[in-house]
Amino acid sequence: MSLLRPFSKLPELNMANVLLVGNDDTFQHVLADAIVKQENNVNVNVRLARTLPLPAENEDSRPRIDLVVLIVNLRSELSLSSTETSLKHLDTGFFLGKVCFLVTGARCTSVPHERLASLRKIAVSLHCPLLFTEDQTAKGISAAAGRVLNILRVSAGLVPLATGLGLSTLIRCSLPPDLDCQD
Amino acid sequence: MEDVAKELLSRLVRRIPLVRLRHVLGRWERLSKTQLLSLDFTQPKWALCENLLSLCEENEIAVKDLTEIEMLYRSEYPDQGVWHVFQLVDTSEESLSSDFMHFRDQFKANLKDLINHVSIKMKKLEDESVWIRIAWGGNFSRPNHLKPTYVVHHLQTPYVFVSSLANKHKPLLFQALALSAHCGSVKDVNLSGRCLTALRDLSMRQYKQVFPSRHQKRLEERDLLPNPSIENEHIKLAEYKQQVASEVFGDGVLPKLETAVYKLETKYREHGSENLARRDEPFRGVVKFSSSNLLESLKYCVSSGMASTPVTPLLSSITHKGRNYFVIKDKQHGSVPNTSASKF
Amino acid sequence: MLGELGMRGDGGGCGGLVNAPCPFSGVLAHLSALETESVRLVELQREAWRQQATREELCATVERLRAQRDQLRAKVLSATSLQQVMTEVDQENEEKRSEEEKSAGDSQLHMSLLTARLSHVKNLLRAHHLIGGYDITETRRGKGVCFSIATAFEDRTLETYNVEMDLARTMRICRHNIPPFIPLERLAQENFQSDIMAFLDSLSMHLNAYVGRRQQVRLIQELFHGSVKVLESNALCSILVLRCRQVGEKKAAALCTLEYGDPTRCLPTRVTIDSEEKTLTDSPQWNEIQALFLETPAHQALLAIRREERIA
Repeated sequence: MSLLRPFSKLPELNMANVLLVGNDDTFQHVLADAIVKQENNVNVNVRLARTLPLPAENEDSRPRIDLVVLIVNLRSELSLSSTETSLKHLDTGFFLGKVCFLVTGARCTSVPHERLASLRKIAVSLHCPLLFTEDQTAKGISAAAGRVLNILRVSAGLVPLATGLGLSTLIRCSLPPDLDCQD
Repeated sequence: MEDVAKELLSRLVRRIPLVRLRHVLGRWERLSKTQLLSLDFTQPKWALCENLLSLCEENEIAVKDLTEIEMLYRSEYPDQGVWHVFQLVDTSEESLSSDFMHFRDQFKANLKDLINHVSIKMKKLEDESVWIRIAWGGNFSRPNHLKPTYVVHHLQTPYVFVSSLANKHKPLLFQALALSAHCGSVKDVNLSGRCLTALRDLSMRQYKQVFPSRHQKRLEERDLLPNPSIENEHIKLAEYKQQVASEVFGDGVLPKLETAVYKLETKYREHGSENLARRDEPFRGVVKFSSSNLLESLKYCVSSGMASTPVTPLLSSITHKGRNYFVIKDKQHGSVPNTSASKF
Repeated sequence: MLGELGMRGDGGGCGGLVNAPCPFSGVLAHLSALETESVRLVELQREAWRQQATREELCATVERLRAQRDQLRAKVLSATSLQQVMTEVDQENEEKRSEEEKSAGDSQLHMSLLTARLSHVKNLLRAHHLIGGYDITETRRGKGVCFSIATAFEDRTLETYNVEMDLARTMRICRHNIPPFIPLERLAQENFQSDIMAFLDSLSMHLNAYVGRRQQVRLIQELFHGSVKVLESNALCSILVLRCRQVGEKKAAALCTLEYGDPTRCLPTRVTIDSEEKTLTDSPQWNEIQALFLETPAHQALLAIRREERIA
């Protein structure tokens, strides 16, 4: 079973699990550290993966995943293409408010505009939020960790009266009509 | 004082940064303590140069002593200019027992046999390296002290590091080296860079290499306490990549190599573009990687998964063979494979 | 929730210290600053907890290991006494048993002999590795092997050198960390293709001798700090010039030159001693010293001479 499913396992009490997918190891680790350090009310479990599908041998030890964060480094083409392949291994259930994109390197001037545009199109078509962050500074990383945590709390059902789907419809990426002349 | 000496001094003062100049002059031992203290290093360089000139005239300092400043500067701060690495091949057993005195006398005699007007200065540093400064002259001209060649050799090792050597002096130097170091010939190993210590470490394999062994886990890795709430799904893959990367490029602080150049002389292979593929002459191109620490960058590429594993021999040859200039050619049909290409 | 999300994005610019809000700050910025401060405090607290936990864990490990050690010690003690009793009993039984059953336990005996043999061989291998034999590892899915050669001098393990070989077509060395002044290529040419063991043995001899000589120089510098000075040495450590002072009213300096002509040994092949006092160099005492240098490692020879109070 290569498809990752959101509801195949039972949730645990006071527990939120987030899966960071991306092939920039250093940023992933720093972000994971920041996320674990920032949350102090619930147990946050961070799992790191380079790409999807996840290896089958970890199937049993893996808890229920509440949020999948796809990290895209715009500086590398590989990062975008591997994200595209990873998306195919996600169950459709995840796209009801349990997936978000985290984009780094968007401020870099040498990055071709098409990459961001194509990523935007993907995010729009999947109704997912698109977060931007700075990966070189500590402040940027802690801000990114805060944002991911906020979404995670909702999608893990820890915020009363809020659901992942509801939040997602509010903050999801929408395509501006003049995409090409923007940026 | 001679004009040459004046020019040399002013050139040195201009080239050497003030902090380093003060340090070098302190170690020079030709100026007395009071003379050194009288020098004001906050002055503009031309004024400092004037002061230094008058002091030198007072002490009757010759060109020979001034070249010592330069030599001190180069040996204290070796990362100036580009160094090329050469290898002494077919070394005899005698080379293992050579000592500095013997080598110095031999080298001086041999080089002076080959060319009349040449000024050689040699010294041995604490780290067993022998520094040679050669100022070349022509048949009818005196040695030019403004463009000296520097040669660094570690006795008993087959490697020589050369900086700013003109092509016409190459055979002379190599012959003198071959005779005095008891070897058959001198070969270019196609390794060059600015950082002398890096080149030395790379060619003599003195950086920390990683070899596969049964006691796989390194101590520091085990000691690192992992955070229990962070788990890597691809931990095995990550460890494997890390292992491969450090096996190829080494561990710890890697030698600081700046560039790697690949010269392509191959046939253009792509379907669809018949015009290019049908051409008889090879498709030429130069691929140059440059970074402030190339090996570190390449290692990161491999360990982070940006470059595929196992590492292509094109990249691993940099450390395995100790070279950073490659010529890639097609294998010729029916004939012996090209020497450069078959080196991979 | 949404407001917070949006704010975090813009608020990054004016966060910072609680007491020093930037001029554009409003309530939100102040709140965000407070939040970062609280996050920081929580981090500190958690770090302290974690350290406490690890310390407790380590303490527990220490306790456990200690208990284990005591247990093992007790076992060893009882085992030795038990062994004595056992051997006595065995000897008594032996005589009776030899007559009685020979054929019954034959196959069983065979089996146990085999296991004993196996464990013996395993122990031998381990011992071989422990005393500095060559460790061999397969690399690149069987296409290569890596030998590691451990070196030691006087009961002290020093560097481990490695040679990685490519077995794909012909056997050749593809990677190693042998110092450049060890004639690896010559050794390889001599008996590489025919006899790999001989190659490894000669290489190991060269390496051990080199490491031994280098260690001697280090030991001299350590043990005789100030009294004996190493004037000259080289990369291969094949020559060693020492300066020491004789005991006496004159304190004449003596210059010992040790030449290591054989690169596979860590003892010198030629020793010359020059002294400022000519009469001393010809005396039988000095000849004795010369002989001592030829037979024992340099630092031990020097120690012996100092014990006899001939050098300061």
